[in-house]
Amino acid sequence: MNKEFLNKRYKKEKRFILIGRVAVSLTIIFLVILLGSILLRGISGFYTTNIFLTTNLSQEIIDPENKKNVEEIYKSSWRKIARNSIYDVLSAFNKSKNIDKISRKDKRDFLKLFSRSSEFYIRDFTLENLDSIGKEVKISIPSSSLVDQFLKGKINIAVNEDDRPINDKQISWINFMVENKMIERKFNINFFYKGDSRNAEEAGILGAIVGSFFVILVAIIVAFPVGVMSAIYLEEFAPKNKITNIIEVNINNLAAVPSIVFGLLGLAIFLNFFGLPRSSPLAGGLVLALMTLPTIIISSRVAIKSVPPSIREAAMGIGASKMQSVFHHVIPLAVPGILTGTIIGMARALGETAPLLMMGMVAFIVDVPQSITDPSTVLPAQIFLWSDQPERGFEEKTAAATIILLVFLLTMNALAVFLRYKYERKW
Amino acid sequence: MSDIKPKISVSNLNVFYGSKQAIFDINMSINSKEVTAFIGPSGCGKSTLLRCFNRMNDLIDICKINGSIKLDDLEVYSKKIDIVRLRTRVGMVFQKPNPFPKSIYDNVAYGPKIHGLCKDVSELDGIVEKSLQSAGLWEEVKDRLHEPGTGISGGQQQRLCIARAIATNPEVILMDEPCSALDPIATAKVEELIDSLKKNFTIIIVTHNMQQAARVSQKTAFFHLGALIEFGNTDKVFTSPEKEKTSDYITGRFG
Repeated sequence: MNKEFLNKRYKKEKRFILIGRVAVSLTIIFLVILLGSILLRGISGFYTTNIFLTTNLSQEIIDPENKKNVEEIYKSSWRKIARNSIYDVLSAFNKSKNIDKISRKDKRDFLKLFSRSSEFYIRDFTLENLDSIGKEVKISIPSSSLVDQFLKGKINIAVNEDDRPINDKQISWINFMVENKMIERKFNINFFYKGDSRNAEEAGILGAIVGSFFVILVAIIVAFPVGVMSAIYLEEFAPKNKITNIIEVNINNLAAVPSIVFGLLGLAIFLNFFGLPRSSPLAGGLVLALMTLPTIIISSRVAIKSVPPSIREAAMGIGASKMQSVFHHVIPLAVPGILTGTIIGMARALGETAPLLMMGMVAFIVDVPQSITDPSTVLPAQIFLWSDQPERGFEEKTAAATIILLVFLLTMNALAVFLRYKYERKW
Repeated sequence: MSDIKPKISVSNLNVFYGSKQAIFDINMSINSKEVTAFIGPSGCGKSTLLRCFNRMNDLIDICKINGSIKLDDLEVYSKKIDIVRLRTRVGMVFQKPNPFPKSIYDNVAYGPKIHGLCKDVSELDGIVEKSLQSAGLWEEVKDRLHEPGTGISGGQQQRLCIARAIATNPEVILMDEPCSALDPIATAKVEELIDSLKKNFTIIIVTHNMQQAARVSQKTAFFHLGALIEFGNTDKVFTSPEKEKTSDYITGRFG
């Protein structure tokens, strides 16, 4: 053989391998950049800043007659107690710096360092520790998102005072509190236990997680049986004629329809015609079920088709009916493929926002939904909503919520892989 | 020969795949408790005919059949026939061993189970053991009945498929080139098995292997281009064929 010709062939192969490696490395680099930037931004969202506030739980204000009546205590003027203890900190600061006068503006600016719901933390602490009424206690309450962001170094203080959300005085107050060991950095439990909020330090993701869970639950209950049954019927029982051909083509078309179109369909049918509650996981789940149906049908059909015909013949050959051969032999072999398709379809549904926009699920909802008919939002919608907030504190929340969503998606995909390996049978 | 009632009688059978005719006007009768071999070059319609006997061709949409096949007095292609009943009477073994991806036990037990042939587990155990013994596999697998049927060797798998076929106690067993995927030793075992099974079953075997047909069968049918060229006692077909085509094929001049 001509040696030059042979060399040419080898070179071609080498070039192809090189191009392939470059392509794969590019993909990996992009993935690393994407995940890395989200992680870097999001990790700090799982931590929050608390301030130890020395609070005088004044007997006169809370429970003047010492009745220990919980309902009355609940209604006391907690704002006054919170403000008093907060201003005490300011006075202490002024004392250390030999400043006598406290201006109203200073008071207002100082209040901005504390969470707007400080008073509720003091109230809840007191209700749990009724003995502490009349005493002076140290309570850890969340700082405002401003302090949190400043201490995390997310606010650029090199710029002109007027151009940043925090002024020089506030910075000196924060430094004073840090020096006096009043600042505590801790794991942000609120993030996992609360619904959405207008205050970044209070905003949590539980509402969105529960909403997503309900939506996926509804979607899977509707889409899985319907999709798998359709696939089995179309693949094994349906007569091969024009009508089934048209149905097949249209199922494939449906899989390619933009998801927002399903939202419009859901709006018209589920909300306007059937009158299902707006913003509810029930309506949203039904829309996502419609959206994932074609995915489930197509992947289930592929799984059923890939079962070797010899298995069918073997079953038919010993007198199994069509139904028996399908359900005893074909389906068990197709299960891993069916499950993989379903999980991947559901993972797609979990990350979907556009159709839910039409169902009113992209909305500011504070309460954690208790049932599939309560108004709720979903994880990707929550991310979208937070990314739109001007306040600095929401930026890391957005990234943190994205991490949570990615964790769910990766878990679902890992489950799909696991099921595939576990139930894959050789023949 | 006319005093013996044939097990299967075929008359004026034509089979079409779409517009293409695969089998032309075949008449033949197959005797009970004998081995009948179908030989002929590829595409001559012998497998198609075999699959008509238990209506496996029904799985192919474009397959059209006219003529008549009688199993005893039952018209196989009558509209009233229960295909499931028919297939319990006419079992089948395929070209490639195709055990279910289940345990050896379940492979054999599946038929009796779905047909309700056993009242309890001990009876089922009995059927499984008997079938495996008839298939000459019992000694080899009795200690691993609950291991997957796909984990044994190819020859064992094919004998497992035979055991599966005889577990429902059929009258006829159709074998579609049962040894074409097996090595010579496994083939010899299956041939021995066929010889011993003919006591209880009517066996029809399709084969490409002339020696095999000569070894195992009592009757041989030679097909060419969808037509039955010659059908008679195996000795006669192989030693002094009546038709020129048969002798050409047997001596290897074509095919």
